[in-house]
Amino acid sequence: MIKKMGGIVCLMILWAGVCTAQVWQAPDQERAKERAKEVVPFVKEYQDDCQISRRICLIDAGVSLDDVETVYFLLDSPIIKEREDHYEPVRFAHKRHAALVNDCSKCHHFRPRDENALETTRCSACHQDSFNPDHPERIGLKAAYHQQCMECHQEEAKGPVDCTGCHLKHVPDHKELVKLPDNPDPIQVTKACLECHDTQGEDMLKTAHWLWRGPSPYTTGHRKDILHGKGTTALNNF
Amino acid sequence: MQITRRHFFRFMGAAGASVAVRPPSAHAWQSKAPPDTFGCLVDLTRCVGCRKCEEACATVNGLPEPERADCQCTIFEKNRRPDETAFTVINRYYTGKVDTFDKPVPTYAKVQCMHCQDPACVSACIVGALTKEDTGAVRYDVSKCIGCRYCMVACPFEIPAYEYFDPITPRVMKCTFCQERISKADGLPGCAAICPTEAITFGRRDTLLKVAKKRLKENPGIYLQHIYGEKEVGGTAWMYISSVPFDTVNLPTLPDTPAPKLSETIQHSLFSYLWSPVLLFGVLGAFMARCNQEDHKENNPDKGGV
Ligand code: SF4
Ligand code: SF4
Ligand code: SF4
Repeated sequence: MIKKMGGIVCLMILWAGVCTAQVWQAPDQERAKERAKEVVPFVKEYQDDCQISRRICLIDAGVSLDDVETVYFLLDSPIIKEREDHYEPVRFAHKRHAALVNDCSKCHHFRPRDENALETTRCSACHQDSFNPDHPERIGLKAAYHQQCMECHQEEAKGPVDCTGCHLKHVPDHKELVKLPDNPDPIQVTKACLECHDTQGEDMLKTAHWLWRGPSPYTTGHRKDILHGKGTTALNNF
Repeated sequence: MQITRRHFFRFMGAAGASVAVRPPSAHAWQSKAPPDTFGCLVDLTRCVGCRKCEEACATVNGLPEPERADCQCTIFEKNRRPDETAFTVINRYYTGKVDTFDKPVPTYAKVQCMHCQDPACVSACIVGALTKEDTGAVRYDVSKCIGCRYCMVACPFEIPAYEYFDPITPRVMKCTFCQERISKADGLPGCAAICPTEAITFGRRDTLLKVAKKRLKENPGIYLQHIYGEKEVGGTAWMYISSVPFDTVNLPTLPDTPAPKLSETIQHSLFSYLWSPVLLFGVLGAFMARCNQEDHKENNPDKGGV
């Protein structure tokens, strides 16, 4: 019974989290969203360099890892969504990739011919709509992302190459799917969730959130213990 | 009775003479391919086997969802063909190609109607239910179709399928090249629009040929120097480039002559100036005459016999 109450408390906290999320917005997430919406002018002419000379150019221009400011981008351009829109945006950890790859020319492979343009122009400046008859050899933005990401992930045997490794599928709007009374209590909410997500309900029963014991990989000194928790040895969480 | 050598040569001589008098240029076969059609270039080195094209094709054509639509693994264990419920399928082939870790690399190949420039199916259809449109699409009109299924026999790529399960209104089913979508300005075939890696490039056929040639020239180490569909069966609107031989991914080796060229030339020469019916009846007449003679001899009691 106590355990059950505990589970319910957990769900209440979750629910509270969902409610407050509507109010508080993560500033970097909002910035990433705004940036994703931008469409920059199309670059028609580009400098067709080989990768080595690109690398030298970037070094000459003094572009280094310190210049990478944004931690992550949301790849969610209207250029792609206008045609097909099946997945949630991909969160591309730009800084992390820059640090791991340590070679900007790997992705920033060409530059605009215009000398005043940035050395590291964004992908969507050159790659926009697919099958542009004026630039038939230029691949569209969607293909540019996929070819670039997947090829490198495959070559390095690192990073996802399947669809859901990067994308989340569109979650349908639950407003229409879930019927709840006004001011529902947590039990009603949990019941509504479990109506469809019954396997998740079953799975939950096997986790530390329900059992109050389990591995504690983040607790210093107890990283290897697998049966810690209020259900066994611990009195509290501190 | 028997045909003696002499008789045979006499008939053949007559037949030969009647062919010889036919003015040769009047019926020379000419391609009926519309100019400046659309096409698609499938780059097998880019396809990642995600099967999104199958899904998109089913959606835009109102077909049932593809078999195990989310599976990108065991579904490839059996080789599939387009059928009456799926206009396009992706197959996986291990052709002996290996990566830097010596792991076999799969090649995925999309199969659909090639929308031939001079389609055998159109030529074979006796009621004109199949037509080559100006867009390049080979379109099927169910209201004209009588269900003879000649198109299925004629197609060198074995594409058209038939709704055998439907006894009342069966249709021939094959990729439509999304004719309705591509005839609109800026319209794309469902499969080309969804493909995440642009393994399918849509555009004017001439432009695509240029793009393909450029890709082959710039990456000679990657591609085989052959554009499948540039010349095969007189050219097709859908073309392929690849790093592995085309016959290893089930794209048949075919001659450059359009299939209709041979069949139509034979047909046309058979019926020109009605020489062949005349010859046929001539031959039959001669046979009958001879038969009669021999019967006459056999039945004549004066010449021996019983
Ligand atoms: S591939 Fe077959 S069905 Fe398609 S156009 Fe050519 S002959 Fe006709
Ligand atoms: S062109 Fe249209 S009908 Fe043909 S395979 Fe692609 S989506 Fe299907
Ligand atoms: S959508 Fe493109 S990459 Fe995916 S299977 Fe089809 S052709 Fe290949």
